[in-house]
Amino acid sequence: MFMRKRSLMISSVLGCLALTLGGCHKKEVRAPAVDTTPPPAPAAPAPPPKPEVTLSVSPATIDKGQSATLAWSTTNATDVAVTPNIGKVDPSGTAMVSPSDSTTYILTATGPGGTASQSARLTVSPPPPPPVTPGAESEVQEQQMFDSEVRDAYFDFNKSDIRQDAQQTLNADATFFKAHPSIHFTVEGHCDERGSEEYNLGLGERRAEAAKEFLVNLGVSPDRIFTISYGKERPQCTDHTEECWQKNRRAHLKMGQESK
Amino acid sequence: MRRLGWASVGSILLGLALVPGFGQDWFSTGINLGAPKIRLAVSPFQPVTPDPALANLTTEFNQVLWNDLDESGIVELVSKSDYPVKLPRDPEEVSFKAWSDPPAAATMLAFGKAELLNGNFVPTARLDDVHNTANPSVLAKRYVARPDEASARAAAHRFANEIVQALGGGLPGIALSRLAFVSNRTGRSEIWIMDFDGYGQRAITNFGSLSLTPRWSPDDTRIAYTSYASGNPDIYIFSLETFRRIPFPMFRGLNTTPAWAPDGKRMAFCSSMSGDPEIYVSDVNGGNLQRLTFSPGVDISPVWNPKTGNDIAFVSDRSGSPQIYIMSSVGTNLRRLITAGGDASSPSWSPNGLFIAFSWRVTDTGTYDIYVIEIASGRTIQLTHDAGRNEHPYWSPDGRHLVFESNRSGPKQVWTMLADGSNPRQLTTQGENWNPSWSN
Repeated sequence: MFMRKRSLMISSVLGCLALTLGGCHKKEVRAPAVDTTPPPAPAAPAPPPKPEVTLSVSPATIDKGQSATLAWSTTNATDVAVTPNIGKVDPSGTAMVSPSDSTTYILTATGPGGTASQSARLTVSPPPPPPVTPGAESEVQEQQMFDSEVRDAYFDFNKSDIRQDAQQTLNADATFFKAHPSIHFTVEGHCDERGSEEYNLGLGERRAEAAKEFLVNLGVSPDRIFTISYGKERPQCTDHTEECWQKNRRAHLKMGQESK
Repeated sequence: MRRLGWASVGSILLGLALVPGFGQDWFSTGINLGAPKIRLAVSPFQPVTPDPALANLTTEFNQVLWNDLDESGIVELVSKSDYPVKLPRDPEEVSFKAWSDPPAAATMLAFGKAELLNGNFVPTARLDDVHNTANPSVLAKRYVARPDEASARAAAHRFANEIVQALGGGLPGIALSRLAFVSNRTGRSEIWIMDFDGYGQRAITNFGSLSLTPRWSPDDTRIAYTSYASGNPDIYIFSLETFRRIPFPMFRGLNTTPAWAPDGKRMAFCSSMSGDPEIYVSDVNGGNLQRLTFSPGVDISPVWNPKTGNDIAFVSDRSGSPQIYIMSSVGTNLRRLITAGGDASSPSWSPNGLFIAFSWRVTDTGTYDIYVIEIASGRTIQLTHDAGRNEHPYWSPDGRHLVFESNRSGPKQVWTMLADGSNPRQLTTQGENWNPSWSN
């Protein structure tokens, strides 16, 4: 925005030059017309020139916590001020600024010829995610962290023992839950399609309870853990292959205690 | 004389060999399956006036009566193409010789008429022994029904039951029995009920949740089932008289597979209230709770011996895979029912207490089929073969039929068959339908 203004200014200066160099006769043609105007009142002195101002900020965009440089210059001004928060300044100068939010700086120059002002916008980008502080996250952030960090534990056919890979998974899950003590969560037990509907309800319950017990033994409070078995009623995958069955034999960890 | 005797024995043995599942003589114990079938002709009932409404009701009556008797398992229906030209309406019109001689070669003849009397549909129904020309009448009944389809069907069911009871050794027929099952045709698993022949399918739950394992109370006025409606699997009881829920306690954890004791006063079920799925019994209001199993692992799917109420069969994986065990109803005298391996689940105890039907996957790579075990001898018979995955058998109240679920036609559906594995019939078609149980 500001750059565009500046280049506009440059081109108008160049245009003026071109006019002065190539169009003198025109000015001269006009001059008589000026002369034809009635002379000003002899008592009035020549009006003082209006102030002229420039204001720029560099860079125009910063991250929160970084700083930018405001630079300005004025002519024909006696009082120069920059708002907000800066106040009276020299007619020309620079200032370091580090606002926490995006800010529009306004330079106002007042002189005998009047007042002029110019604005410059400094954009502050949203900050990067702050380091995790327990209790301070919003629920949405908790959900995002839960989804990206908490993993499901997988089981062998007809078994509810926590096998080696599931131990590693649940260890990592326990670390997460201990770092986020406000999160309550559900362990859902699931099974593959083999075996009766009822047996799998029981087996899923055992898987959910086994995963819960493992987490409790690692120091996660049992009060935060709700368990439920869905047996083979809510499969992740519906092919009749071992690959698919393995995906379904799991303790699925889910934030909150919603179920239906 | 002696030669004739041997010839008869030979032909009976030949007959046994030709009928699938018939070689197991124990199968006929108490339920008349496997006994020589009576040849029964079912002459279509004749409307007495040309009223179109009467014609429709009579057609419905005739179809239902035929189907009920065809399903009964104890009669062989004479093909209609072998009937005499003139069909009787009243007893004096019966030509016994025309029915007893080939090609009809009937032993028994059901026939009658139907009329509209005082706005009611009134079939007059008879069963004649066509060989006993002197005194042929076995049954003579008049039914008064409202002039609507459901009432005409009920009248046909009642007459079918009379015939079955008269010809089948005194066991009542099942034509008025019903089935409860789970269906996901609405998008969610709900509890549904229907007549034994698949007619009148309707939902009794509308939770939009997950509802499973329906079981009829012994007096058929209530259905106990599992539902996740509250956010946790709990046991619910629904009254078919008041169409309301009857309270049953909600315990922590998994609570499922309710099973009514034959006296209707106690309930066996699986609960993980202790942290592990175990078998409990309680009063039907949840009082007098008693834990029967104490084994780490899954203990689930209890079913009472309906004859005595003294024993409970259930499924346990204490041996490493699901297997069927029997214990007393106080938890003593535990023993494993099937000593061969594999995955044996979903026991259903026969009404006479002699058999348990179950689904069995004998090897890890095989599929699930329906089997029956004779408890006293340990002999088993396989009832389904090479027809998809077959599970959840449940005995009919006469012990001659089983309802089960099968995916042989695509999605799993509710099927019935005779208890020797013959005559499979698909009863449901919409969505998936499974886990059936039979009323009493």
